Amino acid sequence: MRDLKHLIEFEDLLQQANNDLVKQARSEGKRALGYTCSFMPEVLLDLPGCFGVRLRAPGCVSPDMATYYMSGRTCHYGRSLMERALEGGFNFLDAQMATETCTVTCRFQEHLQRMDVIQNPDFFCEFCDVPFKKTENSLLHYKTQLQAHVLDKLKEKFGIDTSDEALIKAIEEHNEVCRLITEIGSYRKLDNPTITGYEFHVINLVTMVCPKYLILPALRETAEEMKTRKADPKPNWRIKVVLAGAENDMPEFTNLIESCGALVVADRHCYGSLPGREEIVIKEGETPLAAIARHYIEYSCCPRFMPQDVMRGRKQYIADLCKEYKADGLIVESNKFCEYWSYERTIDAVVLPRDFGIPTCSIEKEYVNSASGQLRTRFQAFVESVEIKKLQEGEGA
Amino acid sequence: MKLNILEKVKNVAKSISEFDVNKLKEADYKKLAKDFVYGKPHGERRLGDLYLPKTGLYKHREWRGLKDTFYYFNMIWLYNYAHMVTDIMKYGGLPAFVRGLWRYRWMGQTYLPVMHWFDRGLEGLRGEALRASAWHYRAMTSETIRQFMRMFAADVSNGGSKELHDHTLAHDETVWGGIFYPWRNNFDDVPLQMIPYFVTCHVNNHTVLHYIDAVQSIGLPGDPCPMCQAEAGIFVDDDMPDYYPAFVTSNEACDGSVATSVLQDWMINKPLFAMPQPMQFDDPLVLEHCEREIEECWKFIEEQTGQPFNFELLKEYLEKQNKLQEFEWEKWDVAANTNYYPINGVAQALYRIYQSQDGYRDIWAETDKKVRKILNKVVEKKIDSFPLTRHRVIAWSCAPLYYSNWCTWAYNCWGLNCIINRDSLMFDMTIRTDTYENCLHDMAVYHEWAPMRRMAVGGMHHIFELWDYMERFHCDMVMMYDQLQCKGMQGVHGLFEDEFRARNIHAIWMPHALPDKRVVSRAEIRQIVNDYMTTVMHEEPLDPSLLDFDDGESW
Repeated sequence: MRDLKHLIEFEDLLQQANNDLVKQARSEGKRALGYTCSFMPEVLLDLPGCFGVRLRAPGCVSPDMATYYMSGRTCHYGRSLMERALEGGFNFLDAQMATETCTVTCRFQEHLQRMDVIQNPDFFCEFCDVPFKKTENSLLHYKTQLQAHVLDKLKEKFGIDTSDEALIKAIEEHNEVCRLITEIGSYRKLDNPTITGYEFHVINLVTMVCPKYLILPALRETAEEMKTRKADPKPNWRIKVVLAGAENDMPEFTNLIESCGALVVADRHCYGSLPGREEIVIKEGETPLAAIARHYIEYSCCPRFMPQDVMRGRKQYIADLCKEYKADGLIVESNKFCEYWSYERTIDAVVLPRDFGIPTCSIEKEYVNSASGQLRTRFQAFVESVEIKKLQEGEGA
Repeated sequence: MKLNILEKVKNVAKSISEFDVNKLKEADYKKLAKDFVYGKPHGERRLGDLYLPKTGLYKHREWRGLKDTFYYFNMIWLYNYAHMVTDIMKYGGLPAFVRGLWRYRWMGQTYLPVMHWFDRGLEGLRGEALRASAWHYRAMTSETIRQFMRMFAADVSNGGSKELHDHTLAHDETVWGGIFYPWRNNFDDVPLQMIPYFVTCHVNNHTVLHYIDAVQSIGLPGDPCPMCQAEAGIFVDDDMPDYYPAFVTSNEACDGSVATSVLQDWMINKPLFAMPQPMQFDDPLVLEHCEREIEECWKFIEEQTGQPFNFELLKEYLEKQNKLQEFEWEKWDVAANTNYYPINGVAQALYRIYQSQDGYRDIWAETDKKVRKILNKVVEKKIDSFPLTRHRVIAWSCAPLYYSNWCTWAYNCWGLNCIINRDSLMFDMTIRTDTYENCLHDMAVYHEWAPMRRMAVGGMHHIFELWDYMERFHCDMVMMYDQLQCKGMQGVHGLFEDEFRARNIHAIWMPHALPDKRVVSRAEIRQIVNDYMTTVMHEEPLDPSLLDFDDGESW
């Protein structure tokens, strides 16, 4: 396929958290607000006068200083963020909008609160409590938390306009990003997709780590470009897979999978678009904040959710994605020391093949591991096993 | 484990041949008589010589002097063995017990070693300390029997009563039993994992390893919290009695617990109510949410039981529970401000966590009554219960379940007296019963202050309350539990190091893996303490025979 016009530019933007667009927005007087988890609604951080940056630590392979503080037995992602913060890589942040949604990222953010890590006199770190259920009580709680710990704080500390009008404007901008990403992602549903999982991963990531208003022009252009993009007549992939799992902000990991012959057609992971890039709809009689709170609770497929119907629903969601995106199998990954996804991955690896007949490859990985030969072997073996299965099914028919 | 007969005969022949008449002549009979009557003083006991090599089992029990040995034999050994029979008869009868013993691995492997659990925890104790600590053990044993007998009697998958099954509610062991008070007249609540997992770890540390292996056999990696792994493994291994029609879970204490609840649910497949506690519980805004969760849970229980919520019953039980808490405060006061506190570290820790998590039961009140008498006596008569205390220790973070009796060893070997521990300090409140609103408010706070939420995950500053408690309990040393697979505590490791250095506090990091002794053995734990005491503190052991012994095969 012909290269996407902006791909190299997008890749460059992913090389460091304080990328060119972040610098530009800050030079325009906008406040940079860090966050780590999708439970912190990015739309609230993209109000006029500020912008959200989902934190990453690209290239952090040896978080030595962070290991002193957080030991070597915690998630590499959390430690890498801590390392990057200690190195000064997050000094551009004006605030960290934190959630206690998984222990290690929580601890990382608590270190930001307790230690003088971020060298920015305005910096503060504020926590939201996030519910574990999807009930009315949870919604009310979440909304109250967002109001008190995000909107009120932004207004108090930085004078950000948090009125309903401002929220509606932020929702509109957010929805445009979601529409474009969904449109670009929809080409993955084709029999012979015109976009690779790697390309999509890069595009989706830049929308999380760059100010929306600065990335939108390139995104619009990419969406336009996709309309005429032609797939290679002879695909260089052997099977199509859904990639599910934990925190995964390294497109190199997707690239690794694809280099083994498995095209990633759907991204259902912490930094993925499924779910995550659905438009926010304000229902009649609903305030913008209530709509945002409802949206994030309703769409999230996080393994934190404990009710019976929700945990079963998560499996159905993956099965539906496999069907919709015509995937031949599922790769489910978790980061080492991630407790939520260690369990969820184990359950997925049992339930999805058993109850839905979906071939599943269960992988434990590190935060940065694009060069892992072991993973390559696992993916190649999985691709072969799915191909054999397809051949056998063909023979049976 | 056993010396064969030939070896025994050889040993006897050897000792006869080596018998030295001069020794008899030179013996200090006055001292021998004193030791016989009062037991050897601390420092001369050589308790380590009592162990059979490589087992940690006793060649014979310790001679504690006439009075205490007979007390131990009659009021601890015999008394508890007798109650282990009578309690079974009282709580469901022999057939249910035999069915459970035969069917469930955790039961078969842990019932008979119970008295060894007493021996380990009460080693070296004398006088009132022996008595008070033993009553705590007795209460836990009794409540354990009551719980597993209810499980077996109601276990419809194993010949139990359907009626009892329908009148029993299950809950995660981290859900406070008090939530079920409004139904305690007709229904019982039995935690799912308290006996199969938590208690078994203490009694026989081999048992739970099987369950950890079971859950890893379906693909779970080895790094999540081993407590959660073991709990999940019980369900993977189908080793949980079917004694309940519905159950209540919680997110307490950590990510692993949430995930375990999810995995359990796939195995159990029964009506479930998830009652999460807020993580940021200091935020006043979360309280209302927590209150509503409790009320929704009560609605769920009403639906499942068909019996309406009974506020009067709730009040009645809460008032009884408040009495337990008030006595706990009295105990803390004595522990903090005197040298008379007669309860050793392991009895204090286990009893408190068991009692506060389980909620009110008559056995706790009965025990407290007995312990109060002892407490009053030691205070009035100024009896120093642990006279060779060199350091007053506070134990912090999550304790090693397979070596909760480390404090007994540490006192006997080094004079390290564990005054208080983090788990004991969790539910530091009584609950108002004057109005429904106040009651619900306080219950929500109590629920939020659940085990580990307050001092392992859920807000870093609570973890650093350690310094305040050190001051309050007049402790000069910290036994810093280093649960290698607890992400919450591992995530603050460096900050604690910094604080210890800055405050010039002696802290011993005790690595462990909760129930999994394979990660760090008891012997390794002892070695770490020994190394610190010799190389940093430059102290000599009180009982050198306890420095190094192999109890890897012990229960």
